[in-house]
Amino acid sequence: MEEQQLPQAPQDLENFFNIAFDGVTRAHLRKAAVWAKISTLCAFVGYGVVLIVAFIGQPVYSLGSNGEGLRRTVTATSIFGALLSVGAGIFINYFLYRFAVSSIRGIDSMDSVKANEGFSSLRRYFKILGICLIIVLCLLVLVIVFAGLGAATSRF
Amino acid sequence: MENLQEQSLLQMNLDYDGGHILHETVRWSRFLSIVGIVSISLMVLVFALAGTTLLGLLPKLAPSLASLADLGTALIILVLLVVFASLGFMVFMLFRFSVLIRKGIDQQDQVAFTEGIKCLKIYFLIGGIFAILGLLGNFVSLISIFLINRIHF
Repeated sequence: MEEQQLPQAPQDLENFFNIAFDGVTRAHLRKAAVWAKISTLCAFVGYGVVLIVAFIGQPVYSLGSNGEGLRRTVTATSIFGALLSVGAGIFINYFLYRFAVSSIRGIDSMDSVKANEGFSSLRRYFKILGICLIIVLCLLVLVIVFAGLGAATSRF
Repeated sequence: MENLQEQSLLQMNLDYDGGHILHETVRWSRFLSIVGIVSISLMVLVFALAGTTLLGLLPKLAPSLASLADLGTALIILVLLVVFASLGFMVFMLFRFSVLIRKGIDQQDQVAFTEGIKCLKIYFLIGGIFAILGLLGNFVSLISIFLINRIHF
């Protein structure tokens, strides 16, 4: 009886929300993590292909007699763009990969700490995507505003 | 007491930290899903209103996709419909994940929580299929570039 009246803070925190990762939930979470891992691995291989295309497989077209400088500019721009997009993609997908690995480990070993690490990586993944989306939306609004201003000034 | 300890060893629970991490996760995923739903709706609207004009401009806007114009309008519309439907379903699953996980945590509803995780699984499943298709597309473009270079040299 006395044992029941003792405060059990650690156990309360362990089941604070009264939600368990039962067999079905664990199976769903494991499959989600496996598919997340597949998509990140595909993305990483895809980035390799993009880099190969940017460095080696430049499109062949004629640019006239003075086209060598323009060709170099196009090549440098495409390589820079590819490096930038691949770097951003690897940075974002790294968190998704960490979510997949930590969640699978956490579920397999029934380790809540590992599962929490996985959820934390998923949170960072969504957060980075959300921030990128906000930046893109802001740029889009700026483009629309400036296009509107440009159209209005050209009319008068 | 022993029963409780055995239960905690056999079962994994959502602890205090995990709940708060998931709470923040679903806040961002809900934002992403709402923006995604609005974007896809706008894209469908644009294609519905100016689809024919956009298809006519395809060779100028994206020369690499010019060969698609030869496939025929009906096939392109079908492919676009499938892509938009898949993307729409994907972001809807992300929205459901956000709503159900939040409901599960706030109302301590185990069923809603499990359904939310199931929606996350479907979201990543569709994302994985798109990633595999994208990788195949990358390989096709790599092979075609090598073939073009070989023809020219």
